[in-house]
Amino acid sequence: MFRRTTQALLFLCILPIARAQESDTPTVPLRKLPTDVILVKGAVPSASDTSTPLPEGGVVAKDVYNNDYFGLSYALPSGWFEKYKGPPPSDSGAYVLTLLRPGPTDKHSSRGTLLITAQDMFFTRLPGQTAKETIEQTKETLQPDYKVEHAPSQVTVANHAFTRFDYNSPVAGLHWYVLATEVRCHTVRFVFTSPDPALIETLIKEMDAMKLADANAPLCVAGYAEAANSITYKVDPTWTEQKYNAIPVRIIIDKAGKVRHVHVISAFPAQAKAITDALMTWRFRPYLRDGQPVDVETGIMFGSAPRAKASAATSVNARRSSD
Amino acid sequence: MTRRVIPLALFLSLLFVLQAFAQVDPGVRGGAAGAGAALASVAANNPVTILNFFNDAKARFTEIDSVSGTVAGEDGFGLGPRYNSRSCVACHAQPAVGGSAPAVNPQVADATADGARNTVPSFITSTGPVREARFPFFFDQFGFPDTNRPNGGVEDLYTIVGRVDAPASCTSASGTGIPQPGFTAAINTGNIIFRIPTPTFGSGLMENIDDSTLLVNFNNQQNNNVGVGGTFNHNGNDGTISRFGWKAQNKSLEIFAGEAYNVEMGVSNELFTQERPLPGEDQNLGNTGLPAACRVNPTPEDHTNFNTTAIGTLSDTVQFAMFMRFLAPPTPSTTVPGGATSIANGRSLFNAIGCAVCHTASLTTSPSRFTPSLGNATANLFSDIEIHHMGTGLNDNVSQGGAGGDQFRTAPLWGLGQRIFFLHDGRTKNLVTAILAHDSSGSEANAVENNYDLLSASQKQDVLNFLRSL
Ligand code: HEC
Ligand code: HEC
Repeated sequence: MFRRTTQALLFLCILPIARAQESDTPTVPLRKLPTDVILVKGAVPSASDTSTPLPEGGVVAKDVYNNDYFGLSYALPSGWFEKYKGPPPSDSGAYVLTLLRPGPTDKHSSRGTLLITAQDMFFTRLPGQTAKETIEQTKETLQPDYKVEHAPSQVTVANHAFTRFDYNSPVAGLHWYVLATEVRCHTVRFVFTSPDPALIETLIKEMDAMKLADANAPLCVAGYAEAANSITYKVDPTWTEQKYNAIPVRIIIDKAGKVRHVHVISAFPAQAKAITDALMTWRFRPYLRDGQPVDVETGIMFGSAPRAKASAATSVNARRSSD
Repeated sequence: MTRRVIPLALFLSLLFVLQAFAQVDPGVRGGAAGAGAALASVAANNPVTILNFFNDAKARFTEIDSVSGTVAGEDGFGLGPRYNSRSCVACHAQPAVGGSAPAVNPQVADATADGARNTVPSFITSTGPVREARFPFFFDQFGFPDTNRPNGGVEDLYTIVGRVDAPASCTSASGTGIPQPGFTAAINTGNIIFRIPTPTFGSGLMENIDDSTLLVNFNNQQNNNVGVGGTFNHNGNDGTISRFGWKAQNKSLEIFAGEAYNVEMGVSNELFTQERPLPGEDQNLGNTGLPAACRVNPTPEDHTNFNTTAIGTLSDTVQFAMFMRFLAPPTPSTTVPGGATSIANGRSLFNAIGCAVCHTASLTTSPSRFTPSLGNATANLFSDIEIHHMGTGLNDNVSQGGAGGDQFRTAPLWGLGQRIFFLHDGRTKNLVTAILAHDSSGSEANAVENNYDLLSASQKQDVLNFLRSL
């Protein structure tokens, strides 16, 4: 019985090879739709130029995840890879930067994943305003299926202040170790998941070698484009087809008060064009730091955004980017 | 070198195959149908006469339509000129009236019923799922899909041509009539996608969840550590959250019923007042639309009846919606398959690995003016009614409302245990395949699917047993 099954299975394994050879005979070329591309998209991100780095612009190349926007350069655990790209940013400013997993060349046959995400804090629907607060909230709202392993604490990784929180699921036998920091008014999270806590500890130690610097990044300031006293000229964008979606947008304002860059985080093409065209004409009072005008980056919400983080949302609340 | 590698590769793939077989989908849960009954308060006839409405509505849902209601045993009025099947229950049948695609596909018999002369397309088989077909793009003049012209509308499989109750003048032979859609060209160019029926048990509860409840649930998910985003689809007219269909493209049961009557069966009604041509029919036939010879009946074919009885006054469309609205949600099993311990364990695992971030276990309905069971009730639907990016693997290149090609409503999982076909196109009967399909380029579910991969074989089996208990 076992023999027969094995033979059948062996046969199944060979089958694809045999079939592949058969189909080598050229057939009439046919224009066929590709199956690995999404041709009809919903709301997508866009930007006013192609050279300014974007949060969603990170790539894995030569076993390193590089993200110019966050100044992040992280060497993948040996043998790991990015199998798939993540989804486009959400209309509440949530990004999957990358999801890494052990590949076929991983010598230690380690089992686990590393998910790197970012949440734009200008558009978060969470009550927490900082990386620390959102991680503390994770702990407070932890479902009964999980157990706290180490309460949130402040740690330094790669010379950066992180909040670290470890929890696990006894039933699943899986551990989640989360490290979060702030860069350019985003909470950037490293989420390690594995049945093997020792593996995660090793990977966290290796994180020290990563680069995370945003020295040249503009200052990020919440609400600067929504405060009447900072705007000197504006026109409202208009578009015809109402889709009722939230449209989070980031802009960079230069020292002269002109809009240097528009990043529409999630919108339909007609919306993105109308908003970008309008925003490029807006004028601001230059933002002053220590009496000197500086570039600032800020967020502004268009579309039909549900205003849901009612209680915790503070008014114009300038925050420096972490450095 | 290559010599050594091949046996090793074979060995490894063998291992992989064995491992993949380690946990199995227990298959369709046997025993009595855990769905199909009326809500408790409807069964208790509260308010008085509601049960009569439910029973009448169920009869209408199961009625077979013929072109003018003249064929014996097919009293429904208005079939065609284009159709996908001939009654609501034909497609919504498993495991009971109101459900999803049955084991034997009625669309094979539909092709030639009552003298119709349709060819059964290759993607319709008697053991496969009921399918609705759509062409993501219109074709260009050379017969290739034109990616600048998205289509996405339903291409009805069949026409009434040749039926005993269709006029002889409605014929496809001369080119003045109505041919079936060009499925072969669509298949050869990859320009076709499928949708299977979604079950309607418990849909009255889904209809009665307030937008604010959905938004609170959405906010509560935001702090997840599995990379799930999500958003809602909205009704284009009033901007409220829409919720029915694979992309949450429709607002209410009544709108869906009107649209289904029109699109699936070709019956014009008060919500969709004209006979429906194919999406490209105007272009293909020189902008003339459906020929008059094939538009047999005055419109709307289904309408309010001026009648002396309360129930008899209602249109079919209104009653279809009433039937679905009053269907009780499926009853899960606490012991089958795999036993109570395995099911309970599977439920915890389902939460722990993050499935429940999208497949929200339960949501509470608003007070209801229809009947007590619909109000302030817990709907154990296992869905957030959001739409999520599911990546290139599930993408169907059809945009509906705010949903793009790869965005789908988190499929409600109640009643899963007695379903036969899974995913929007019915590509699999195997739950394991359905779960693995969550992982592809651009999907929000990749990290959660990875967590599933990290489970042991027996833990995975618990998850599958739990899903089949629903
Ligand atoms: C040919 C098969 C077919 C027939 C006949 C049919 N349906 Fe459907 N039904 C479908 C398919 C396919 C879907 C999923 C459509 C989609 O979302 O793309 C569906 C979905 C639905 C839904 C949405 C439920 C949910 O929660 O998503 C409702 C309601 C519905 N149908 C009602 C009806 C009614 C009422 C009738 C009779 C007038 C009917 N259907 C006839 C195939 C059919
Ligand atoms: C990002 C949100 C998301 C997560 C996380 C998620 N699902 Fe789903 N699930 C969906 C969506 C959307 C669909 C419908 C996809 C389609 O049909 O194309 C679906 C479909 C399914 C189906 C098929 C249902 C049907 O009606 O055919 C099953 C079974 C399922 N999910 C189980 C799971 C399990 C088990 C997990 C955890 C391992 C999980 N899902 C995690 C969103 C999610």
